[in-house]
Amino acid sequence: MENKNPISPHIQIYNWHISSLVSISHRITGIINFFTITLIGIWIASLLLGEQSYQNINLFLSSFLGKFFCLGIIWSFSFQMLSEIRHLFMDLGYGFEQKTTKITGLIVLIGSFPLTIITFIIGRVLI
Amino acid sequence: MVQLNLPANSKVEKGQYYKDKTGSKNIRKVNVYRWDPSTNENPRLDTYEVDMDNCSSKVLDILNKIKNEIDPSIAYRRSCAHGVCGSCAMNMNGKNGLACTKSHSELNGDIDIYPLPHLKVLKDLIGDLSTLYKQYESVEPWLKTSKVNDKENIQTKEDRAKLDGLYECIMCACCSTSCPSYWWNGEKYLGPAVLLQAYRWIIDSRDEDRKERLKKVADELKLYRCHTILNCTNACPKGLNPAKAIAEIKKMLATA
Repeated sequence: MENKNPISPHIQIYNWHISSLVSISHRITGIINFFTITLIGIWIASLLLGEQSYQNINLFLSSFLGKFFCLGIIWSFSFQMLSEIRHLFMDLGYGFEQKTTKITGLIVLIGSFPLTIITFIIGRVLI
Repeated sequence: MVQLNLPANSKVEKGQYYKDKTGSKNIRKVNVYRWDPSTNENPRLDTYEVDMDNCSSKVLDILNKIKNEIDPSIAYRRSCAHGVCGSCAMNMNGKNGLACTKSHSELNGDIDIYPLPHLKVLKDLIGDLSTLYKQYESVEPWLKTSKVNDKENIQTKEDRAKLDGLYECIMCACCSTSCPSYWWNGEKYLGPAVLLQAYRWIIDSRDEDRKERLKKVADELKLYRCHTILNCTNACPKGLNPAKAIAEIKKMLATA
């Protein structure tokens, strides 16, 4: 017989913790990165169609919206990288104490922003 | 399956409001999830005004006060009232814990009390944990040994120390029901409580079934749905660390 009893509220009522926020962001940035890499692949492939198609995308990326787009991508990669380092330590069995998870989680959340800016500036200087 | 919204029959509606009758100046509003299986109504959130001048320190004391003095129809599990039996596990202000060890002074504002998340509700604050108990049974939580001794089965101090942080678990289900992975895959994923218990027997030096035990949990769904969200460790009222226990199982499997 099918159980007709209601299900108690879950995500609607449960508090967010730093660790759960980092976890869900890790997933979302992972999906963004997947599509980003595909897009970069397409961009590189478009070189084969000649300089003009390269310039079209270059023009877009140099525009205000394009720069915003770039920053978003860089942030997504920065976050993923820091969070993945955190995961590597966890896979080795370290950093599971409540205090440590909070601190490392904050480092990932907050640290992703300066890392984004640094990467962006380095990119500007190099290119 | 990930289902973010509650099904139609589980939507929580506004409930009754019980005004304070004692004339106390120190009133606290307590919202309690209610569902009566004898009616066809949806769950509702009843609000009680509780006189805090004559209430002891824990959330369970509030519930007892409501049941004794305001509304005897409210149903919840409780037994030892000392954080040992794990009966009064529930969700208080968005976090799972034991009502008997949670001080209401630690909670800010109005107090919201819900059953443990994502369970089939039996009545009011009582959730159905039978799936979890079945999963607990599936890890065979007993000592397997070929030794037939009249004497004690001795362990070294170091081996015994490995069980610290594991044997204290009271199976209150605060951790499992705080875990989003367990919400979405509760039928297949064993969840932090059961995996911590599995690890407790895997790591026991007296147990001779380690290989089999490891083999049994080494499953995409049973074990690897743990994505270290760490809600379990945050929720555990006994201060244990199920996430670490799961990580240790994964490590054992990876290095075996």
